[in-house]
Amino acid sequence: MNSEPTEGFDYFALEGNIDAQSEKYFKDLPARVRCSQVRFNFIKTGRVNSMGIALLLRCFKEIREAKKADILLEGLTPMHTMLFKMTGVFLLASPVVSQGSGKGGVA
Amino acid sequence: MQRTQTVAMLYLDESDREFWAPSLKEVPGLLSIAVDGDLTHALEQLGGAVANLRLVILSSRLYPVQHPELARRIRSACPQSELLLVSASGVSSPPLMPLYADNVRHLAINPTGSGRSDREELSAAVEMLVARRPWEISSCLKQGTSIHSFQLHSTEDKEALIGALEAVLAGEGEEYELLRQKGALLADELLENALYDAPRGAHGGKLFKKGEQRAMLPGERIVFSFGFDGGTLALQLTDNWGSLEPDLVIEFLARNQEAGSKSDDEGGRGLFIIWRFLDQFHVNVHPGQETAVGGHLQLSSGLNPEAPRGFHITEHQIGEAA
Repeated sequence: MNSEPTEGFDYFALEGNIDAQSEKYFKDLPARVRCSQVRFNFIKTGRVNSMGIALLLRCFKEIREAKKADILLEGLTPMHTMLFKMTGVFLLASPVVSQGSGKGGVA
Repeated sequence: MQRTQTVAMLYLDESDREFWAPSLKEVPGLLSIAVDGDLTHALEQLGGAVANLRLVILSSRLYPVQHPELARRIRSACPQSELLLVSASGVSSPPLMPLYADNVRHLAINPTGSGRSDREELSAAVEMLVARRPWEISSCLKQGTSIHSFQLHSTEDKEALIGALEAVLAGEGEEYELLRQKGALLADELLENALYDAPRGAHGGKLFKKGEQRAMLPGERIVFSFGFDGGTLALQLTDNWGSLEPDLVIEFLARNQEAGSKSDDEGGRGLFIIWRFLDQFHVNVHPGQETAVGGHLQLSSGLNPEAPRGFHITEHQIGEAA
C-alpha cells in the first residue's frame, strides 16, 4: 500500500486484501494525514473482510475526529460498494464516481 | 379420514392468503387462517389444532410490525411449535430486533419467481422445520453435484481453500466474476469464524487473536465444504467446538442491521456479512459438540444491499429424535 503527497489532499492507494494483517498500516495511517481532504484509492484492493471493515471504520473515524478531514473513496468495485453500504463505511466516507483521468465527483 | 395438521399459517387477510397459496400448496395438512382483523378468533382456531402443531408460519404482513405481540401469544398457546416468518422478496426486510426479542429464529423470503423450483424451496424449508432436521449442503443443489470437502490443518490453508472454491466457479462474464468475489468473501468469513471465534477456553474466552498464525489443536476439526451445480453455490463450514450461541447469532444480525451502525467493534459483523451475501443462511449448533454455518446463493442473485435475506438458526442435541 502506498501514498503520495498530492497538492490539496492526502492520497492513499490501497493494495491487496484488507484484513487482520492490515492492522498496523491502518493504525498508523491517521498520523500521516496533513490536509483537510483524504482520498483512498481501492482500484488495486482485493477482498475486504469484516476485520478489514472494522479497521477502515476505526481509521476513518479517527481521521474525521482528530484531523477534521473529509474522506473520499475512489476506484470501488460493486462488491466494495455493497459491503461499505451495509456496514456503515459510507457514513464516514463518500464514494467518488470516476469521470476519467483522475478527476472525480462525489456520488 | 381427517388429516393431522402439523403446520399452520396465519395471514393478514384473504389477499395475503392468495399471495402465499402457490408457494405453500405443496405443504401437506396446512391449517390456513386469515386473521381479517380478529386476532383473538384466529388464535382460537389455532388453539384447536395445538396438540399436533410442529410449525406455525407467520406472514410478515402480520408480524412483527402489525401485531408485535403475536409471536409471544402463539408461543404461550403452542409452546412446542417452531415459528417461521415468511416475507415477500419485493418488500424490505422485516426488522430483526423483535425477532431477537421473541426468539423467532427462522425467516424465509419468497423467491422472486413463481416457478416450481421456487415453490419447492419454501416447501423444503417447511419440511426441514417440521422434521426438526438440520440443513444439508446437498439439499439445494442438483442431484449428482460434487461436494468438495477439505479439513483444515492450519491457518495457512485459508487462501488455498479460497482458491479452490474460485476454481470451481470458473466461467466468463460479470455474473461469474461477481459470484467468485462473493464466494471468496463468504469463504473468508466462514473460515475466520471457525479459526478465531469458535475456539473457546474453559471460561468462554477466545483462545486466538484474529490474524494469528496457528495449527489445529489436538482433536480440533474444521471442515470447509462447497458445491456448485451451475446455478447455485452452496457452502458450509463445520467445527467441533459447538460454541456459537443461537441467540447471539440473531442478536448479531439484528444489531448490525440497525441503520447507521458504524461502530468499529460491532460484534458478529462477519456473520452479518455472511447472511447478507447468501440467499439463505443456515446455522445449526450442537452445543459443545459441533457448529455448522453455511447456506446458498444463486449465480443470478446480483448485488442489492437492500434485498431481504432469509435465515434458519437451529439448535440440536446430538442424537436428538425428530
